[in-house]
Amino acid sequence: MKNIFQPERWTVAPTLFLIAMSIAIMFVDHRFPHLDNARAGISVVISPLRYLVSLPAQSGAWVTEWFKTHNRLVDENRYLIDEKRLLTARLQKMNVLLEENTRLRNLLGSARKLSDEVIVAELLSVDQNPYRQLIELNKGTLDGLVDGQAVIDDYGVMGQIIHSTPNSSTVMLISDPEHAIPVQFVRSGLRSVAFGNGNTDQLELRFLPATANIEVGDQLVTSGLGGRFPSDYPVAGIVSISHDKTHGFKSALARPLARLDSSREVLVIKPREKTPPPS
Amino acid sequence: MIQFNFLVIPLSLVIGLTLLILPLPEWAKIYRPDWVALFLIYWSMALPKRVGLLFAFFTGLFVDVSQGTLLGQHSLALVVIIFINLNLHQRIRVMSLGGQAMYVFFLLLINQLIVVWIEGMLQRNPPVMAFFGPALTGMAIWPWVFILLRDIRRKAQLS
Repeated sequence: MKNIFQPERWTVAPTLFLIAMSIAIMFVDHRFPHLDNARAGISVVISPLRYLVSLPAQSGAWVTEWFKTHNRLVDENRYLIDEKRLLTARLQKMNVLLEENTRLRNLLGSARKLSDEVIVAELLSVDQNPYRQLIELNKGTLDGLVDGQAVIDDYGVMGQIIHSTPNSSTVMLISDPEHAIPVQFVRSGLRSVAFGNGNTDQLELRFLPATANIEVGDQLVTSGLGGRFPSDYPVAGIVSISHDKTHGFKSALARPLARLDSSREVLVIKPREKTPPPS
Repeated sequence: MIQFNFLVIPLSLVIGLTLLILPLPEWAKIYRPDWVALFLIYWSMALPKRVGLLFAFFTGLFVDVSQGTLLGQHSLALVVIIFINLNLHQRIRVMSLGGQAMYVFFLLLINQLIVVWIEGMLQRNPPVMAFFGPALTGMAIWPWVFILLRDIRRKAQLS
C-alpha cells in the first residue's frame, strides 16, 4: 500500500524548474523589452474579458442618456451652445496670438511645433494591480496608438501608454510610483521632475534647490524635455512646500490637474515627430 | 478521444480572471479574494493528475498580464502553493470544510506573501493589509467555492 504521508517525489524537480523559470521571466520582464510581444499576445486573448467587465458601466451610461428628460436635454444643449460660443470667441483671439507667436518665433529663428494631433479614446472600467496606477483604454495599435504616447484629459496630463495591443492599451498614470514627468514652473521657469507616489492626488517634487523661487499655488506644465511628453501641457499645481534645514534641498507636493480617478474620455496625443522608442 | 468535460476547468479559471479585473470601490480592492488561486487550489486538490504545476504556471502568466504585474510574479506564487497542495491533497480532501478553510487561508497567505513581496522589492510599498486581506476573504468563501465546484465537477463527471 502506498504511504500517503510521503511527499510526492516527482513534484519536486518540476517545481524547482518552474520557480527558476518564473524568476528568470520576471528578471527579463523587469529589465529588458524582449517579453513585450509575449505580453501583447496574451493581452489580445484577455481583451474580450476586459470589454465584458466594463460593459455594465458603459451600458449604464447609455441607459441614463436614453432616459434623460426632454427638459434636461434642452438645458444641456443650451449650456453647450453657450459654451461653444464662448470658446469660439476665445479661439479667435487664440488664432491671432498663435499667428503672432509663430511670426515672432520665425523672427527669432527657433522652430517649434504648435499643435499636435489627438485621438479620442475611452477608459475600460477594469481593475488592475491595486498597488499601481494603471488604466486601460479601448483603442490600440489599430487606431494608431503606440507605446510612449502621452495621454491627457480636459484638465491636464494623465499619463503615457506603456503597452499597446491591437484593440486596447495600458496607460501608466503620472501618479504611478514608477512614473516621473519632466515639468516646468510657469511663473519662474524652473525645471524639475515630478514623481508619482501611488496616490491619485499627489505628485512629489524632490531635490529642488533651496533657493528655488516656488510658492504654493504655482502651476506646473510639461517641459518637453526627454521628448516623451509634448511641452506646455498643464500637469499640476503646488499644494505644499517643505524645507528640511538639514538638507540643502526643498521638496514640494503637487496636485495633478487631470482627473486621474474619474475621467472617462481621454485624448491621446500623436506627436508630429517620431516618438523615441520606449526605454 | 477528446474530453470536452475537461473544458470546465479552463472555463472556471477564465471566470476567476474576469472576477479579478471586475471594478471594485477603492477601499475594497485589497480584500478582493484571489479567485484564480482559489479555483486552482480546488481543481488541483480534486484532480491532481490533470491540474498540476504547468497548469498553475501558465494560469499565472495570464493573471500577470491581466493585472499588469511582472510576467512570472503570479506564476511563481501559484506554482509554490500548488506544489504544497499536490503533496498534501490526500490529507486535506478528507478534512471538514472548516479545516480546509484554515488550510486554504495559509496557502493564500503564502501566495499573497510572494506576490506582495515582489511588489515591495519594486518599491511600491503595499499596505500591510495587502498580505492578509485576500487570504481572509478567500478563507471565508472557501466552503462555498468548494461545494459549487464539487457539484460542477460531478455534473461534468470529471474524476
